[in-house]
Amino acid sequence: MDPALEHYHLSRRRFLTSSASGLGAAALGSLLSSDGLLANAAQAPHFAPRAKRAIFLYLAGGTSQVELFDPKPKLIQHTGEPIPESFLKNEKRLSFIELDKSKLMGSRLGFRRYGQCGMEMSEFLPNIGKHADDIALIRSMYTSEFDHGPGEMFFSTGEETPGRPSAGAWISYGLGTENQDLPSYVVLITGRSPVARMVNWGSGFLPTQNAGVLFRSTGEPLLNLANPPGVSREVQRLELDAMRELNRRRVDAIGDRRINDRIQAYELAFRMQMAGPELIDLSTEDPKTLEAYGVHRTGNEQGSFSTNCLLARRMVERGVRFVSVVQRRWDHHGNVTSGIKTNTAIVDQPIGALLHDLKERGLLEDTLVVWGTEFGRTPISQNSDPGPTAGRDHHRFAFSVWMAGGGVKGGQVVGSTDEFGWHAVENRASVHDFHATMLHLFGLDHLKLTYRFKGLDFRLTDQHGEVIHKVLA
Amino acid sequence: MARRCLLLTARLVCMLLVSETLYGDETVPTAKRELPPAANVDVDFARDIEPILKRRCIRCHGAKKAEAGLRLDHRSLALDGGDRGPAIVPGKSADSLLVLAAVGLAVEDLIMPPTGRQLTKDQIGLLRAWIDRGAQWPGSDVTAVERLESDHWAFRAPVRPAVPIVERPAWVRNPVDAFVLAQLESEDWQPSADADRTTLIRRLSLDLLGLPPSPEEIDAFVADPHPEAYEKLVDRLLSSPHFGERWGRHWLDLARYADSNGYEDDRFRPDAWRYRDWVVDAFNNDRPYDDFTVEQVGGDLLPGAAYAQRVATGFHRMVPTNEAGNTSNVEEYRIKTAKDRTNTTATVWLGLTAGCAECHSHKYDPLSQREYYQLFAFFNTAVDASVKAPRLAKKYWLAYERAKRNFKGHVNNTPEPPSTKALTITNNPEPPESFVHVRGDFLQKGRRVEPKAPKFLPELKPRRADAPDRLDLGLWIASPKSPLTARVAVNRFWQHLFGRALVRTPEDFGTKGKPPTHPKLIDWLAVEFMESGWQRKSILRTIVLSATYRQSSRLTDETFERDPENLKLSRQNRLRVEAEIIRDVALAASGRFHPGLGGPSVQPPLPAGLAERKELKDERFREEDSGVDRYRRGLYTNVQRTFPYPAMMAFDTADANVSCTRRDRSTTPLQALTLLNERAFFECAQELGRRVAAHPGTRDERLVRAWRWCLGRVPNDEEIDVLSVLLEKHRALYRDRPEEASRMAGTAPLLGGLTAMKTAPWVGVARTLLNLEEFITRE
Repeated sequence: MDPALEHYHLSRRRFLTSSASGLGAAALGSLLSSDGLLANAAQAPHFAPRAKRAIFLYLAGGTSQVELFDPKPKLIQHTGEPIPESFLKNEKRLSFIELDKSKLMGSRLGFRRYGQCGMEMSEFLPNIGKHADDIALIRSMYTSEFDHGPGEMFFSTGEETPGRPSAGAWISYGLGTENQDLPSYVVLITGRSPVARMVNWGSGFLPTQNAGVLFRSTGEPLLNLANPPGVSREVQRLELDAMRELNRRRVDAIGDRRINDRIQAYELAFRMQMAGPELIDLSTEDPKTLEAYGVHRTGNEQGSFSTNCLLARRMVERGVRFVSVVQRRWDHHGNVTSGIKTNTAIVDQPIGALLHDLKERGLLEDTLVVWGTEFGRTPISQNSDPGPTAGRDHHRFAFSVWMAGGGVKGGQVVGSTDEFGWHAVENRASVHDFHATMLHLFGLDHLKLTYRFKGLDFRLTDQHGEVIHKVLA
Repeated sequence: MARRCLLLTARLVCMLLVSETLYGDETVPTAKRELPPAANVDVDFARDIEPILKRRCIRCHGAKKAEAGLRLDHRSLALDGGDRGPAIVPGKSADSLLVLAAVGLAVEDLIMPPTGRQLTKDQIGLLRAWIDRGAQWPGSDVTAVERLESDHWAFRAPVRPAVPIVERPAWVRNPVDAFVLAQLESEDWQPSADADRTTLIRRLSLDLLGLPPSPEEIDAFVADPHPEAYEKLVDRLLSSPHFGERWGRHWLDLARYADSNGYEDDRFRPDAWRYRDWVVDAFNNDRPYDDFTVEQVGGDLLPGAAYAQRVATGFHRMVPTNEAGNTSNVEEYRIKTAKDRTNTTATVWLGLTAGCAECHSHKYDPLSQREYYQLFAFFNTAVDASVKAPRLAKKYWLAYERAKRNFKGHVNNTPEPPSTKALTITNNPEPPESFVHVRGDFLQKGRRVEPKAPKFLPELKPRRADAPDRLDLGLWIASPKSPLTARVAVNRFWQHLFGRALVRTPEDFGTKGKPPTHPKLIDWLAVEFMESGWQRKSILRTIVLSATYRQSSRLTDETFERDPENLKLSRQNRLRVEAEIIRDVALAASGRFHPGLGGPSVQPPLPAGLAERKELKDERFREEDSGVDRYRRGLYTNVQRTFPYPAMMAFDTADANVSCTRRDRSTTPLQALTLLNERAFFECAQELGRRVAAHPGTRDERLVRAWRWCLGRVPNDEEIDVLSVLLEKHRALYRDRPEEASRMAGTAPLLGGLTAMKTAPWVGVARTLLNLEEFITRE
């Protein structure tokens, strides 16, 4: 940032902090993030927000809507038949599919109706299903990307190449943070990192304090959070006091009040050293809660995903604006049937517990929970006959996501696909539409939340995007 | 007959212009889309045609907007056409897009004009008759519009402005100051006094070398009675090899330099450093900026291109590359790469946001989408080529290896220097054709284009008229006729020396960019730069010798209130140094700094627990180097595109995925945690602590010594008091905690026969000094 502007900004902040409620009004993640930035400042919603924080469950790899969310009796009926030519019209870019070897393939797993609304979802999502009346299931999503890297980036940032801010960074930038002791955007990962890694939670050209900060669920939650060997908290405090004293003297000598920013950053870091370990310390949780989330489950990734869901709740409870809970093992090019069983066994219980827990604590009404994925999977087998070991390729013409809580009208299915589930047909929703809707729930107009960079006013939704009004309560 | 002709035309248009056909052979055009017959009357351009064009077309297709790259205000431009092809084919109204678009027969969903009433049958009949009879256009001056004159300041060649007369000539050291002072005086305002010599030498050292001066260098400069002591200092610094490291890094930001490939796999890119070393050498040898430009843009095409000229094209190899792509998108990524090269070249050298014209003509600058693809055509023919790099001289390599092992033991065998390749590009012997990509989609090929420079910039005269290539583009960019090249370059020099550029949007000199705060100064510098042979050191010397640069950065409430952004340059700016330089100053203060130049990138210590983490994609990024490679400059730290070295990331290092024209200077708690706790920085604190603990002198003398190793200046009594109180508190604390003391003092051998108990408190003092705001600030 322009140093002089930083400076100018500081004097404004000094005014705020000295005249209002002191540091309490400011925030962490960064000092700057709580204040917003200069000409490019946002930091206030455009209209009354329905959601104040989000838990973004990012099930990367491409979750299969065919098995999980979008039942297709006709597809089951025609399983094994060659691919209708109509599928291939206009399609020039398929991923790994060889068309002559691939066949129509319905789900081998059952669906069940959930909730008062009777929403159909996989029989392997009973715990999520319990909250069907809070869920808006969007079956008509489509994307332009069919590879993981670009697909993830597009789904996270609205652009298929690196360089743009993620949706979470936009929201952090747009609204600031509510917590003094923690970053405004936190990322938790179970298992493998997503392909596009930090681009998924990066701040792009937005100020860096809006970037997602990767927390670890065990050990030290943040890099460099623990003091070095031989440095006790007492020693840390002594040295911080000396630094503060010397830095203050420099303010007097040189007149540069930005030095106060640095002083406060150190104080906040010191508090974070306390808040971070407290955050991941689950010993204060009711054992029943731990059990409900399945924190002690021993299956592969089960305990980790459960812990991350619980940590996500602890974070939003403490005012973290945006939490991404990432798990990437949904890329079922083979064995989609058993793969879905294994994965739902990992995620269903903790997500169900999370929704329940949030509701019980009165947090669900202003916490947005999202099931997201970069694309769907083909309603055709991938280069094999259908069967128990068959898999599905990446599919960009139709996939499903859902939203719950924070201003979402639950108990409804939005949009639909054609009878084979190849194309989204009714209420088609692009990734930009999805982003526009998310911002809207946060009281942000996707057309107005802009940032000037390299001569252009950039938006999360690029030149596109329409709010999916059906989703709104 | 007319009908057949119409179908043929429609098909032809479709083939030429869009991938989707408008209607198939069987489809009968609807009555609405019938082409009205040509009027059977005398047509007069001024009476019948010009009013139609003026009223219904020019607002979008005139000099101001040129939507879709099309202008209908001159005959030659209309004949030349826009992104979709010629608008008028004289004699053939049924083939003329102007007519077809008016009827809705050109492209699906396109009827011109798009708003208001459609043209009447009579009007279209007149247009047809006019075109069929040769499209006479009296008064249209064909040659006058060959070049587009823009009145935007940056698109007109700079002329050396007269140096203004000022009221206080005594303050003026060179013309730079006259321009700055004239502006200050016009507002009844004055500049700041010179900073003191201690501040000046640290400022110069950090700005020119990225390293702090030693206390000895400071004392010598402060005491130097020579009338040109300052000039001598500047010249010494400019001739230091660390100058190239410091300024080379600025260039690497622009070149999106990284030691990995990016995207999904983000593997180690072992040969990238050859280009990095080329850049550093070019700065150290003061390679003139025009040659520096030509070689990077098209050095491979120079007759008998030598190794160095080929390596220069490594600039274009610094793009991220996707190894995991499917076969079906190889072409897609090839095109993406060519567009990246186009956009990066335009941004870096011309300060143009050309990428805006990828999908549609530029909204603000006179760059049409077609012209964008004409620029793209220069890069569309490039292919990767690797050249064998010379082996490092064995003598150099052995010395390097020996130094490296010194910490651990002896070199038992004499290893051969590694042989590597350098990443370059060359031209494809079977060059693909280039097209406009409709809406930016490479699958939707629009009109075919040839390499060409945009009309609003000076003419590009290729070496061979029929085959303009990348070398021609490089020569054109580096031509003194270019209104942008020198201005964009000097603007960046200013940015690095004042923290803010004269044009505050260094990536955008277009109409949406910020106007310069000192328009005449930037032009004077640009002309001076070109006329002095594009010598960077010479123009940098001019700037740092100015009184403007030498001003104190001290702020008062008055100066701050009056000009918070310091737009008038009534003072210098205090700047937090960049990520790499923070590492460098910490290493230098600790005494561990290793000054080795060049060679493969290194992996310094990683934060605890990171090496097992998956962010580090390649084995190479997880292996910490040992010996001197632990202590080399930030410039040499491996850059993994998707996950840069964490300490660099915390301090806003460049995002290597795209060209970075300016870095953030944020202040965050993560930075505090990094400087306080990160292993590499704590190692520096330990080293500094051990060093000062063993230093001769009294306690206070040693405190002064440590202070000066870190901050250069002599501390005042109060400052020493703060440190001595801290030291004594640490002594008291560690007295009862021998284990903590020994961990604090570290595992390296203690100096001067000191115990851990005696050393640990000094580590605490060192850690405090390395965390001061002043330590990472250039004042």
